[in-house]
Amino acid sequence: MLDAGLCNYVVISYGHNAFSSDSMMKMLMDFGGDDGVFGQFGAASGYAMAARRAMHTFHTGPETWKHIAVGERKWANLNPRAMMYKRKMTFEDYYNSRPLVEPFRLYDNCLMTDGGRAIVITTEERARDLKHKPAVIMGMGQHNTATAVNYSTHLAGPTGAKKSGEMAFNMAGITLNDIDACEIYDCFTYTVEINLQSYGFFGPGEGEDWLKGGTIEPGGRMPLNTSGGQLSEAYFMGLTSLSEAAMQLMGRCGDRQLGPKTNTKAPEIILCSDSGGVSRCHSSFILRRG
Amino acid sequence: MEYNKPLPKLNADSKPFWSGCMEHELRFQKCNKCGLVRWPPSIICPKCHSRDVQWIVASGQGKVYSFVVYHIAYQPAFKDDLPYTVAIVELEEGPHLLTNIVNCSPDDVSCDMSVKVTWDDVTREFSLPKFEPA
Repeated sequence: MLDAGLCNYVVISYGHNAFSSDSMMKMLMDFGGDDGVFGQFGAASGYAMAARRAMHTFHTGPETWKHIAVGERKWANLNPRAMMYKRKMTFEDYYNSRPLVEPFRLYDNCLMTDGGRAIVITTEERARDLKHKPAVIMGMGQHNTATAVNYSTHLAGPTGAKKSGEMAFNMAGITLNDIDACEIYDCFTYTVEINLQSYGFFGPGEGEDWLKGGTIEPGGRMPLNTSGGQLSEAYFMGLTSLSEAAMQLMGRCGDRQLGPKTNTKAPEIILCSDSGGVSRCHSSFILRRG
Repeated sequence: MEYNKPLPKLNADSKPFWSGCMEHELRFQKCNKCGLVRWPPSIICPKCHSRDVQWIVASGQGKVYSFVVYHIAYQPAFKDDLPYTVAIVELEEGPHLLTNIVNCSPDDVSCDMSVKVTWDDVTREFSLPKFEPA
């Protein structure tokens, strides 16, 4: 639309009162069809089913996911806007959180948030005249594996991150080695693991080794979900990740800014993802510093 | 006692399955062209697109493809069942069916364990296919 000159600016927005209303739960209940006959409700159910199959197929489980929950919380502790800004989390806190839909504990689940987020997209030419240096879209891709959890015969992955990632990397003309940070859709801890694995950051079952030692935390070599993500900042679907990637590349992230402030590399290129319909559809975006 | 959990919503495609359940039979569509036994029911084969179909009765034998254990009742009627197990069972004939594992502690359920159907006659109109260790 922008290239064709149909418009000059596009605003993509998201707003929801998910925390103070029952609208999210109602939406998820309708989404489930006859699953409720057997007591299967909500979004955790499908992802938990996928996570359990993954635990059977390759090495994963709470010992892997704790690194994601705790790592993202450390970023949230640097972000005054995050719902969990003042609440620290240790591995022990993670293990002590109550089971909801096993294999998930409370801290494997994302937040419900009242709030919203928006981004403005325009041409590079127009962006040059604006107040802030922009973040530039280098590549994007979408892949919809389409099969619902109940009928899937490949529940342990790979997800649509694999093919949508290939599309985005081809468009950008770069490889995984060029990525400085990731902003990955994280409705659950396991969602982050299976999508990083599907992008090719590590092989099946190697997630725990890849994550341990603070890989994704402040000071780590692959900072991930640097606002706290949907697990610890706020749940705004794909806009939590996209807006954070853009803000980081624009240098507008305060205490959590990638670079010397957080003992990380100043980012040139960030990979973002979004997924929906319990891993049935997946989008990848690669942004670079403008 | 009144049954207050959700019941299946019938449509023209799914009615033969649930009618079969009332007779304690697991009925599935089988494609006459490529042989795929499919679930959920549909007018067209998702593999070869043929409309030529017959209904078969499945053996009721299968194995657990994956499962989850609920420690929270999102619907109050399930509160007394906690903790309960929801599973996807891969039937011998191929289809994956969402169900419950019963007569087995959640701690003893595992992926790929063998299970067989057992019937839960919940109302006069519905019998639900659940599974127990084979």
